[in-house]
Amino acid sequence: MLVREIMKSPVTTIPPDVSLVEACKLLQALNIRHLPVTESGRLVGVLTDRDVRFATSTLCPSPHAATDSVRCAMSTSVLTADPGDPIEEAARVMRAHKIGCLPVVEGNLLVGIITDMDLLDAILRLAGIYDSTGRLEVSLSDVPGELARLTSFLGQRNVNIRSILTYPTGQGSIRTVLRVDTNQTPPLADALREAHFAVLWPMQKPWLR
Amino acid sequence: MAAVIYHREYARYDFGADHPFTPARLAILTDLLASLGNPIDAVEPPLATREEILTVHDEAYVAAVEALDRQDGSSDAMAYGLGTPDNPIFPGMDLAARWLVGGTLHGARTIAEGKHNRVLQLGGGLHHAARAKAAGFCLYNDLAVAIQDFVRRGWYVAYLDIDLHHGDGVQSLFYESDHVLTVSLHESGYYLYPGTGHIHELGSGSGRGMKINIPLEPFTEEEDYLEAFDAVVPQALAWFSPSVLVVQAGADGHFADPMGDLALTTRTYHALYERILNLAARHTEGRVLFTLGGGYSSAVVPRVWAMLYLTLMGLPLPERLPEDWMAKWAHALGPRMPLTLHDPDPPFPPFEGKDERRRRNRNTVSRLLDSVSRYWY
Repeated sequence: MLVREIMKSPVTTIPPDVSLVEACKLLQALNIRHLPVTESGRLVGVLTDRDVRFATSTLCPSPHAATDSVRCAMSTSVLTADPGDPIEEAARVMRAHKIGCLPVVEGNLLVGIITDMDLLDAILRLAGIYDSTGRLEVSLSDVPGELARLTSFLGQRNVNIRSILTYPTGQGSIRTVLRVDTNQTPPLADALREAHFAVLWPMQKPWLR
Repeated sequence: MAAVIYHREYARYDFGADHPFTPARLAILTDLLASLGNPIDAVEPPLATREEILTVHDEAYVAAVEALDRQDGSSDAMAYGLGTPDNPIFPGMDLAARWLVGGTLHGARTIAEGKHNRVLQLGGGLHHAARAKAAGFCLYNDLAVAIQDFVRRGWYVAYLDIDLHHGDGVQSLFYESDHVLTVSLHESGYYLYPGTGHIHELGSGSGRGMKINIPLEPFTEEEDYLEAFDAVVPQALAWFSPSVLVVQAGADGHFADPMGDLALTTRTYHALYERILNLAARHTEGRVLFTLGGGYSSAVVPRVWAMLYLTLMGLPLPERLPEDWMAKWAHALGPRMPLTLHDPDPPFPPFEGKDERRRRNRNTVSRLLDSVSRYWY
């Protein structure tokens, strides 16, 4: 999944010389938290709702008036993303710097923005929970071909896979969670067990074990 | 006494030999009732019209169902949830589904016109069907069409769903409606299809606080299930003050059902039916429409639904099952078939995890009530 697939575009921007009170009104009207600041089309900073609140707070060591300009409260060392970056790289940068957004630029042009909320949306999409689906959880051996064996088993039964999440458990196995396009997961789990898959869910009924 | 609605054409709703939602379930049930000396005396409903289907479904979807029914391959079946392992395409499916909708709708009209207060539709309960998508064995949403008919008359409808699975189709079709309260008890969507039915799904707009979900842990037993029911359902009905109850009485929460992981028994279902009739007496002057629903064990479904029928008709429950019926259907009932209408007591050996399940179920109910009660009073 690439940044261009999840970024918001076009982006609402603000010039650096408008007042903080205007910026605050804009943030509230659009119910957003991040405003890229542009000057002659060029990205010069990012202003967040938190920047506005702190800059004008009595708790700020050198507080600003609400009529002061955006320029005094914005961050100027802005980290950006390219539309072709993979979203996991964007997530890594945002996490490493503990920031809530990345403006997306192409050359001098601001083309979009991604925020932490867009990354949460991406996780939900990756987890496949937007469709009505059943859930299978299988422990696979950490060797080549095991996932292929699992997916071809499902393919042969005309079961459509809506998402697959896998992660290593660190104990020689790969935990695999699939969202599948059927509600008949318990019989499917029985068939998988017969084919020697270690099915973690659905499990056998405890009173039948 | 209840009016019973049934049509032999319901048997046309048949996805094929290996599909779990088989009309044989109905044949075995009606045969059991006859064998018990209570042959059903049913009203034959009319077929639902295309216009009636369109009161809840998109025209494009209905047109796609009709086209695929004619083996016209121009429609994108998968986009409409058709041609999947759950909803295979079969010739005559449009008509078959319309018979089931016709039955439930006829039940609603029977109540709305004051002919009967208590109606049992021996079929239907296709609660997963969405506005423009088939899902989970459900082609057209008979429940939603019936509810819509009540709503059109200005009635307030409380929909109660005791199927194993979340009643997602009905919930989503009325998500913003302030005329429809939906309450669904089901195995948690964390584990089971369709994956929805969490406590935070409360409705939107003027329907906020009117969509209630009680997701329960896998392997939840009777005591916890009824405790959750009693903690939420009477309060919700007292607040909403419905004109009628519509009940999707799926029987797949039974411990022997092959599709899920709840551990209810025939006694749980009997207790639920009694509770629902009492609630109808208290809140809707006895007006209640029951449909069938999920339920995939031939050894379970005829017993549970026969119990539903007998309870609604005010007839005594026999202890033993008739031998002629057992012999006739032995091939379908399987080797684990009990000789009695009720499950053996105890129905299964105790198994571990009860305390943690109870803790989580109680926490679910208290978190639900905490968030929903602010909309209620």
